Amino acid sequence: MILDALKYLAYVLIFPGFLFCFLTGLLLAGIDRKLVARMQKRVGPPILQPFYDFFKLCGKKTIVPAAANKTVFLMAPLLGLASLVVLQLFIPVFRFQIAAFSNVADMIVILYLLLIPAVSIIMGGASTGSPYAGIGLSREMVTVLACELPLVLVLLSVGRYVGTAIGAKDGISFSLSQIVGYQLEGGSLITKASLIPAAIAFLLVIPGETGNHPFDAAEAETEICEGMLAEYSGAPLGVFKLSHAIKMLTMTSLFVMLFFGGVGAGVDNLVALIGLTGGAATAVTIILDILLMFLLCVVVTAVGISLVHAVTARLKIEQIFKYYWTVVSALALLSLVLVWYGL
Amino acid sequence: MLAGGVMGLVLSGDLFNMFIMVEILTFAAVALTAFRNRVTGALEAAFKYLVVGCIGSTCILAGTILLYHQAHTLNLAQLSTLIAGNLDVNTVIAFVLLFIGFCTKAFIVPFHPLAADAHGAAPAPVSVLISGVLTKSGIYGIIRLAYFLFQTMNLGAMQFWLVFLGSVSMFVCVTMALAQHDFKRLLAFHSISQIGYVLAAVGLSTALGASAGLYHAMNHTLFKGLLFLTAGAVLHETGTTDLGKLGGLSKKMPWTTALFLIGAASISGIPPFNGFASKWLIYQATYEKAAETGNIGFAFVTIVALVTSTLTLASFVKVTQSVFFGQLPKECEKAKEVSFGMRFAMSILALLCILTGLFPNIVQKYLTGPAGRTLFNVSAYIDGMMGKGYAQATMGTNMPEAGNRAIEIVGVWNPVNWLMLLMIALLAICIVAIASKYDAVRENKTEKVEAKYSLFYGGEETEFSQVGGGDLFWGFKHNWRHYFSFMHDLHSGIVNDYSLWAVVALALAMVYALIVLL
Repeated sequence: MILDALKYLAYVLIFPGFLFCFLTGLLLAGIDRKLVARMQKRVGPPILQPFYDFFKLCGKKTIVPAAANKTVFLMAPLLGLASLVVLQLFIPVFRFQIAAFSNVADMIVILYLLLIPAVSIIMGGASTGSPYAGIGLSREMVTVLACELPLVLVLLSVGRYVGTAIGAKDGISFSLSQIVGYQLEGGSLITKASLIPAAIAFLLVIPGETGNHPFDAAEAETEICEGMLAEYSGAPLGVFKLSHAIKMLTMTSLFVMLFFGGVGAGVDNLVALIGLTGGAATAVTIILDILLMFLLCVVVTAVGISLVHAVTARLKIEQIFKYYWTVVSALALLSLVLVWYGL
Repeated sequence: MLAGGVMGLVLSGDLFNMFIMVEILTFAAVALTAFRNRVTGALEAAFKYLVVGCIGSTCILAGTILLYHQAHTLNLAQLSTLIAGNLDVNTVIAFVLLFIGFCTKAFIVPFHPLAADAHGAAPAPVSVLISGVLTKSGIYGIIRLAYFLFQTMNLGAMQFWLVFLGSVSMFVCVTMALAQHDFKRLLAFHSISQIGYVLAAVGLSTALGASAGLYHAMNHTLFKGLLFLTAGAVLHETGTTDLGKLGGLSKKMPWTTALFLIGAASISGIPPFNGFASKWLIYQATYEKAAETGNIGFAFVTIVALVTSTLTLASFVKVTQSVFFGQLPKECEKAKEVSFGMRFAMSILALLCILTGLFPNIVQKYLTGPAGRTLFNVSAYIDGMMGKGYAQATMGTNMPEAGNRAIEIVGVWNPVNWLMLLMIALLAICIVAIASKYDAVRENKTEKVEAKYSLFYGGEETEFSQVGGGDLFWGFKHNWRHYFSFMHDLHSGIVNDYSLWAVVALALAMVYALIVLL
């Protein structure tokens, strides 16, 4: 009993919970910054720069604006971070998934759990009473709205595809573990022709959902001083930056698990060849799977976030909305229709 | 009288008594709407309600008369045995008349402008009653008609009708709500949007859909009651519900703010509150139905439902920013926390919102599940009313099978476990935060050197810095400007127009029903 409790505590705190998110998220953010810099022929910051930034911010003084509601101002970043960390628990790492967590939330729930960090940053920004935050939160909400429709379409098509393929009773499956389990035998979903438009749509949604350039109208530094973060300073600001980095990890790993799932590193034979058995073999496979997932996350970040960042200029908020509800949604809808009629 | 009317409607087993009860509750609601008759618009709203409500009541009366002429009985159970399986022109016309009549009571599109006016003018507790109880009586009437009296729910055309009306209601009203700049009118439009969810779910005619719809109806009563009460508290303290004139109340009214946030999270379907639990079931139900029938149309209902939920969130972000956060205007400086009694009433509703959200399985098992199953068991009702074996004897082959359908859920959602995980993570983060001196220095206002740097980064004066009100989501509205201006032109606020809509809706419904149900 106590051992179980300790095990779950370790899941939440170490892997795939807090510590793992902290390290990989910030590392991903660092790699993203470096890649963008190299693409723009700059030297760029060191890869560990987000870590330095975070610890530096934690050591700074926090100033609460006179007009702010102090409780909301300080609690909003923590709530957003906690909900993101918990969200990461539900995303399997290839074959490694925590059985107790896989029956807690499905894809539709994850769609809504993704709203909680957005809502917490909106509430935090609103509580400062700053006009920049007002404009920022308005744009953030519109961006969330914009991403919602394509994301819904993508998840519904994936659910329908896998549901039909595994012969679920009603022909739908929203369970992430079932989707990943299907890919173990049926091959990655990216190889299915009818789901390729959905995968592209999801890839395009990632920078919008994480609020990266060029979809960062909500945090436009040069224009509205980072919007909702304008009045934040010190540790709460650091926590928001950390949440942003973890959100990149969450979105990219969700993408990897939905479309690149499968056998993972697939080194079972190799491990057996070396002569490892039992616990050690499992540990090695899991570690290799994690490394592979992180590598894939980096690739997705490079293509989906860094490349887009490097070659585009910031869009206006109404352009963001229009783009997502026409181009990206059309791609996702195409996928849904294809899947629906079994093409 | 309103409560009595609703109770009477629910308990009545007789069509004419149902009509009487509908009349009683309509007139009680009209009188309550005009309760604050010194407020501008109260009498106007009551008059509109009276006129269109009367059109609805007339429809119900006409439908009742037609059925009586046909069957020479008004007992619902007896009528049901006579009508089931042999629909003819007369009964279909009667059905449409009754249906439209109950739609006006539930404020389904196109009767939604009435609700906005009525809620805007009525005092908050009356709004709670109208939104929480009265609209449900309309839904109850529709369910009773479609499932019991006419037993038409197994027809695809009928399902399409209800689901279509529900989807249109949820989408049109949520966009109307986004355009509002009055707290209570905004809530009024949301209440019809949520009723749209209920109607769409019930219209699916599956066991899961029925119980999800009823669950959402119950949840709607809870969170909309809470939201109307917080609107009432704001009105009580500041004397206005105009979003453009309010702001910064969270420092003056922390309790009300917290309770409002719970209500807003519930209605926007943020986990783990109750709105999410029931909406999640509705998404499942619509998508399952789509997969089951192979009809992609139902999948679009799922998409509309999911997007509507986010639009709901957007409009509540607008309210939060405009009323509770932001700068405190001079007019609101006298505001203080409302009395204990008001807070207590709101807290009960908020607690129920959380509990029904955290334990959806228990609610399903003991409340909505059995209620949903009853919908598919018409003959048991008839037997219960008229004596055992009556249904079998009179209906013979037409007897509907007693469906004891099981509820199947595709997805997984376990709010208690999720909340436990969240609490562990939050606790851990808080401990780290406190250990690393995550503490704050409040900027001291008296120390300011120059007015130029008084408050914000860019040096705005406080009074010019409020961002909020009706224009918050400019980026969104700009893209949909044609839609919004169309809606603006359509909702003229003239009672003649709304009566015309009612008549047109009746005519369209009549044509549709005569074509597809015969």
